Amino acid sequence: MSRWRHFMVVGTFILMSLGLSGRMAYLNVTERAFLQGQGDARSLRYETLAANRGIIFDRNGEPLAVSTPVVSVWIDPTEKSRTAAEITNLARAVGVDPRELGSKVERYSQREFMFVKRRIAPDEAERVEKLHLEGVHFEREYRRYYPAGETAAHVVGITNVDDEGQEGAELAFEGALKSVQGRKLVLKNGSKESIKDVEYVTAPRFGKDLALSLDLRLQFFAYRELKSAVEDHHAKSGSVVILDAHTGEILALVNDPSFNPNELTRVAPDTRRNRAITDLFEPGSTVKPLTVLAALESGRFNEESVIDTAPGYMHVGRLLVRDPLNRGRLSLGDVLARSSQVGIAKIALALDDRMVFDAFVRAGLSEMTSCGLPGEVVGKLSDSQLKNPIVRTTLAYGYGLTVTPLQLAQAYLMLATGGVRLPVSILRRDSAPTGQRAFDAQTVETIVRMMKGVDSIHGTAPKARVLGYEIAGKTGTARKVGPNGYDEDRHIAFFAGMAPAADPRVVVIVVIDEPQGDKIGGGDVAGPVFARVVARALRVLNVEPEEVAS
Amino acid sequence: MTRRRTVGQTRPTWQWIAVAGAIYVGIAASGVCVAAVAQDVRGLFVALAKNQGRQDELLAQYSRLLIERGTLSSYQNVDQAAERQLAMRFPETVERIAP
Repeated sequence: MSRWRHFMVVGTFILMSLGLSGRMAYLNVTERAFLQGQGDARSLRYETLAANRGIIFDRNGEPLAVSTPVVSVWIDPTEKSRTAAEITNLARAVGVDPRELGSKVERYSQREFMFVKRRIAPDEAERVEKLHLEGVHFEREYRRYYPAGETAAHVVGITNVDDEGQEGAELAFEGALKSVQGRKLVLKNGSKESIKDVEYVTAPRFGKDLALSLDLRLQFFAYRELKSAVEDHHAKSGSVVILDAHTGEILALVNDPSFNPNELTRVAPDTRRNRAITDLFEPGSTVKPLTVLAALESGRFNEESVIDTAPGYMHVGRLLVRDPLNRGRLSLGDVLARSSQVGIAKIALALDDRMVFDAFVRAGLSEMTSCGLPGEVVGKLSDSQLKNPIVRTTLAYGYGLTVTPLQLAQAYLMLATGGVRLPVSILRRDSAPTGQRAFDAQTVETIVRMMKGVDSIHGTAPKARVLGYEIAGKTGTARKVGPNGYDEDRHIAFFAGMAPAADPRVVVIVVIDEPQGDKIGGGDVAGPVFARVVARALRVLNVEPEEVAS
Repeated sequence: MTRRRTVGQTRPTWQWIAVAGAIYVGIAASGVCVAAVAQDVRGLFVALAKNQGRQDELLAQYSRLLIERGTLSSYQNVDQAAERQLAMRFPETVERIAP
């Protein structure tokens, strides 16, 4: 090869290299942003990392609230102008009224985002996607479903459209249940497949599952019986609370009226109130066992004590206290079983001013139960007028103080545990918590023994009798306060009790607000609900029957 | 006069060529391996992405099945089926059948 040809070849290569380097430098300096943007637009994509809100289960693993993916369809009205035919096609595809969608598009014409339809099923979204409608976008969201429906609505609660807890356990445990969708930047190949994670923008956070203390079986039975009683007695509302007497867990908490959490569009706001923890009632005769407990503790009365209730009425200042009939001389047990107002009034007046009040406080009637549900209120229990014998008398038979059904349940839980106050909980417990002794065990045992007479033929609630099990309980029928003092026509019927009486497994409180008709007493209205609920509950909980019917 | 030669000075040229060739082949083989591994990684990443997508689908399916189970096995349905289809009744009496 001649020398000049050698230089020419080498020179050409050098020039080409310089040319390419120059071009690279030029593009790198002048077109860098544009070219990089074009490259990224073809290969980099943001992807959402799905994360579910935690599932709420009952104590046996039955689902109470589950999130499942749904798809929302949206458009950008400013992206392109749509013809009437296009809007009609889109409306038909997602199942909305074309005229309605047309006017909505007009309203949103200046905005860059508009939902066409939210939360449609994924298979429905897939059908719409296959139509390849231009400018229609799809966004994955989650919808919360409640398989137990209205049965557990007040306890489980609801979430809003953004999957945030609004009521009940959904709100109370929002921190644990909440999930956060993740986001990452990925590199895609020509087949639109992800080939590399470039950057994690946000890590996904999965919501934690939650096990409530509820037993859905008991919840269902309690709700069915309560609903039936409220309908039969044309009552305004009602609540039933069932507590586990060993652990203080809430096994069932139901209210009627209730609502369907899966269909909130036609729900009256009043039905969404969890009455068992938000509504305050004067508990009436259901607190009499605590009054007798105070009497036994004082040492001035014992199980053998006899109270003369003749002639069936008495005056305390200007207050007339009366029984339905003259019951004569009654033992302490009979005072409870027959719910004698005169008997209780005489006991209260024989005690020191604060004794009954202190017993109520130690039973927990002045404190919130702190069960874990939001919106709980605490009743009113004041010691400001205890010097007044009328106040002491009315307090002893359940007037002049207010409690929630759950507070009353906690007080009866104390009786069921032999005088130990256990904290109540809406979350499942693996073991019984350590309680705090509030009363002497033997004294409480005596009271529970006295309460066994309530379902006898001479008691106030023969209809509360449970076949195969001995129960202990107390009825209550409290008049409601109207514009002119206590109303003769509006009552609240209570039954509070435990079963089996010898070793209580459940504590049950039944409250029926404003029952109508001839039978409005706790024994006639709330007693049968107690009996049916306890009969089912004890069988479900495998509690062996105590007595064999002939 | 005899000249004393060092080892380096006495190594023939073909040995240098062999060493250079070996290095070149090693580098080339390493490059090919890197490319092959990168390809494998991409393949595995695509498979991982697909599996993650499948996992999402299965989780969604699980949640739907859970809802379906919860609805179908609700005690309302069980109670109705027991009463209407199986003519079962809640016991009216207590009978001990085992000691």
